[in-house]
This record gives sequence, structure tokens and C-alpha cells, in this order.
Amino acid sequence: MQTKNPPIKRIKLSFLERLYLPEIFKGMAYTFAQMFKPKFTMSYPEVKWKPKPVFRGRPVLVERADKTGERCVACGLCARVCPPLAISMQANETELPQERHPITFEINMLRCIYCGYCEEVCPEEAIVMSDEYDITYHTRQKAIMDKQQLLVPMEKVQARLDFLREYKNAVRNAAEQAVGEDAKK
Amino acid sequence: MKHEVELIDGVESLAKPKLDTATRFEKRKKIYQALEDRDTTVLVDDDDPLESTMVLNMGPSHPATHGVLRIALKLDGETIVAAVPELGYLHRAMEKLAENKTYHEWMPYSDRLDYMSPYSNNTALCLAVEKLGDFKVPERAQYIRTIACEIARISSHLLSIGSMLMDSGAVTIFLYTFQEREEIYDVFDMLTGARFTVSHCRIGGVASDISQECVDFIKNWLKEFKKKLSDWRKLVDRNRIFIERLEGVGYISKEDAIAIGLTGPNLRASGVAYDIRRAEPYMIYDRFEFNTPVLENGDCYSRYLIRMLEMEESVKIIEQALKQLPKGDVRIDNAKQAYAWKGEIYHSMEALIHDFMMTHEGLQLPKGEIYHAIEAPKGELGFYIQSDGSGFPWRLKIRSPSFCNLQALPQMVEGGMISDVVVVIGSLDPVMGEADK
Repeated sequence: MQTKNPPIKRIKLSFLERLYLPEIFKGMAYTFAQMFKPKFTMSYPEVKWKPKPVFRGRPVLVERADKTGERCVACGLCARVCPPLAISMQANETELPQERHPITFEINMLRCIYCGYCEEVCPEEAIVMSDEYDITYHTRQKAIMDKQQLLVPMEKVQARLDFLREYKNAVRNAAEQAVGEDAKK
Repeated sequence: MKHEVELIDGVESLAKPKLDTATRFEKRKKIYQALEDRDTTVLVDDDDPLESTMVLNMGPSHPATHGVLRIALKLDGETIVAAVPELGYLHRAMEKLAENKTYHEWMPYSDRLDYMSPYSNNTALCLAVEKLGDFKVPERAQYIRTIACEIARISSHLLSIGSMLMDSGAVTIFLYTFQEREEIYDVFDMLTGARFTVSHCRIGGVASDISQECVDFIKNWLKEFKKKLSDWRKLVDRNRIFIERLEGVGYISKEDAIAIGLTGPNLRASGVAYDIRRAEPYMIYDRFEFNTPVLENGDCYSRYLIRMLEMEESVKIIEQALKQLPKGDVRIDNAKQAYAWKGEIYHSMEALIHDFMMTHEGLQLPKGEIYHAIEAPKGELGFYIQSDGSGFPWRLKIRSPSFCNLQALPQMVEGGMISDVVVVIGSLDPVMGEADK
């Protein structure tokens, strides 16, 4: 139960602090100083933010280097690991060197949570997170992306593939790791 | 007319179990009696014969309740006679979901618990699972986790302080703290790849290594942040308007705080020096020098001040961790405990099989049960896991700090003024994603 005088030690303010005016001026001075600081905001969508390779955007299927089709072999690992069950695929045989490929591959972008698990388990580097982030649809049906919408040429996601090789796939071999000053000794 | 009667009879026949006419008649009689009684009986509250109290609903969608918290308030004028918080508007059956997902699969769900500090939740879950399996996580991964957890703590406290000050009338500070949070999101973006739902911690390590660029960014940001933090403290700490608004409001004594089960900054503001980072150090917290700030008063002002002090300690921890950051792996090099390295998966059949097994079957943990708690920004965040030896948790219970802290709300507001409710909620800092699970 609350009372007007709970057993606490009250803060003792000095005379200057007890006057309201210095505090008000202090606050106004701090706010005024903010005006001359560089602008923090960005005029989106006129100015677009460029994500770094580390950024996890829309998941995409990577095209083969010879542009004959997708790298995916339809093993179904991404569909299994996907926490919100956004991925579905149907496997079939193909003339491509990989012998298997998905005839349908769909990602429901309304379900996708951009966790990047699909990319992490894929044994073929066939599905990676791209740098696209402003994805909108007019209908729910359009949010289900099929194979053609997901397929992108390798050059487009090269930065991400390089990042994965350096930071995720073989960290142990990286010579240049960021280490602290004390650990260098 | 006849038709209608037939229709009603038809509907009644669907009800199960079917009652015979005598029982039905008796039941109806009871209902009529109850209705009649209600008409003639006047209920008089002995304490309040003139009915001068009023019941006010606050929430569930109220800007000051920080989410979907509903509080039924009984008011006598402007004084609160009784307060009953009602939870469950954001219930998503997190614990039940966990039973149908592998540990690895469920990890992104933990982001959505306390969405002000997703990294702490990730870490808490991973630590609990690792404790059950007795995994030895590489040093570097632990340092990355510690750095990220402390940044998450700063982010959470910034929101808490900002919104609490806004609730008590100081809107500008809110904008300053949110600018800092934006910087923190940039840090998380650089470290984990996502700004908000990070999903970076993995069982057995972390998902990706920290880059030099990110380390430099954190160092630069810390320098500026320390300056800003001291500026804000100069601005707010000894401001008479602010002190008069908050001092002595929402008082809770040391004994009550322990009895109710408060944890985290709310408990330490009441004078109990209990911090899990110090009481039972997990990860590598025993290597850092930092204080556990404790304040005696237990009112809203000390709950504000303790968060400010804790942010300063967090800055110290991050600085030390960045200095000590060692070389090495960021994930366990054992395909039975964590995902194999992709470099191996591309070239070795065995690693590929492990990749498939881990995804399909999940982590093979021993039978048993485990509880592991960490000091999350809001308090003690614990995961209790019962494992039956399969890849899925048999039962997973979340001890969420916001849920337990909210228990103190009635005691903190009853007897106080109605305008203090928003400040008390702000000072308790509940996140409904975590309280409702």
C-alpha cells in the first residue's frame, strides 16, 4: 500500500537546483546545441540505405555459373530447418550435371522471418540471403514467390557469397581475425 | 409458431449429453430463480455503501502500458483502491511451440520473447541447452556473446529510461535515447546481419565471426555514448521537476521485493545486491571488473537511476571484452554438438551426413532436466528444459522476468494516485512479449 511518506531517503537539492530556472535553461541549451549537429535521419525512399554483405535480406536461389539453371539439388534441408515453414519444394531429375533439381520452389514471404537458417544448412550454396529489404505485395498470393522470382544470377549475390566464405564457413582458416589488444600479446 | 418450436427442439437435441425432461425442468427452474433473485436483491458493498468507487479499464492498447497490458483499476476519486493487472493478450504459446521444434529450430522464436534485447534471450536458451549437453563453447564465441548481451542491455535500458521519462513528461530525452538505439541497431546489423531479431547465437557458439569493421564501430560508438550518457545524467538526475514527480512514487520495500520475486534492476533498486552475473557467474563474467549498483530507496526514481548506473557498468564490460577478445573458432568443432563448418560440408561426405542428421533429427542431448538463468536486462531470465533424449525438448519452461516483475504492480500503485500508474509501469519496464510468452 502506498503512502504519502514512504520510508526513503530524500534527495537534498542545493539552492540553485531548487530554483526551476537554471534547470530549464540547461535543458534548452542542450536541445539548442542539437540543432547544429549533423542530420541523423535519411530521406527514405529518395535516399536508399545500402546494406552490407552481412545483412540478411530476402532469400534467393543462386543461378549456376554457366547460367543453365539453379544450383539447388532439392535436398529439402532448407524446407526442413525453416522455423516458420515458409519453404516448399518438389524435386525432379534433370539433365544438368547436378542430376536433381526442384521443379517447383516456393517461399512464402509472409512467413519468412529472415533468420538465415536456409542459407546456413544448404550444402550447395544454392540459397543465400540477398540485400533486398523493401519487399511489398498487393495481394497475399503475390507474396508466395516461385522459382523464377527467386532465381538471381551469381554476380548479384557475390558479395554475400564472399562474406559467407570468410566469416561463416571457414573462420578457422582466416588469418585476419579481429582480436583485442590484450589477446595479441 | 409451431415451426419455431420445432426448430428450437431440434437445436436442443444436438446438445450432449441429452437430458431427460425432469432434469431439464429442474435446471430451468434454477435459472429462472437466479434471474429473479438478481432482480430483487441489491448487492451492497459493506466498505462502500454509497458506491463512490469507480472501475476504470486501462489498456490493453494504451500508449503507456508498453504493449498489451490491461489493468482494471478501482478508483476512489483519484486514489487507487485496487489494481488488477490482466495478462495474456500477446500469448503465442511459445512453450508449446518449443515442444514441436528442435532446439536449433526454436532459437529464432526466443528473439520474440523480450524483443527489446533479443540477444540475451538467444544466449539464455543456448546456455541452457549447452549446460544440458555439457558443451565447451570456444572462448571467442563467449566473448562475442558477452559483448552483444551487454549492448542489448544498454539498448533495453535506453528504451526503458526513454519511455519512462516520456510517461513522466520529458519527451525530448526519449528522442535522444532512440537515436542511440538506432546506433545500436547498426551495431547489431554489422555483427549479426539483422537489426532487430538477431538470431545470431547458436547452440555451441555463434553464427558468424565479428569483423574488424564492427569492432571499430563499437569502439567509436562507445566513446560517443559515454559522453552522451553523462550529458543526460547532468540534465535529468538532479532536475527538481523530475525528482518531485518520481521520488517516493511506487515504493516497494526490500522484504516485499524479495517476497514477490522481483529480479534485475527493480530488485537492486530496493536494496538487494543480487545480480546473477556476480552471484553465479555464467559465461565469462567473472573475468571482468564491474560493480553491481544497488540503491536503497525502492521508488521510481531509484529504478530510473539504477538503469543509468547499469549502463555505465555495461560500457565498462564491453570495453574490457573488446580488449580481451581472443583468436579462435566461434563454434564448437564437433559435428555432434554444433553444425559442421560449411567448408567441410562442401568437401567431406561425413560432414554432409552430419549436416543432414542435425537438421532432421536435431541435437541429440542426454535425458534429464536443466535450469539455467542469466541476468537479462529485465531480470532473471531462465530456461527450464526437460529432455527425453530426442532432438525435441519434452518440456520447455521460460522463467520470464517481466511476468514476475508485474506481480509487484498492484502493491506499487494501490494507495497511490492514478497519474502515477503510468510512471510505475514505465519504471517496472515490462515487455509483454515476454510476460505473455
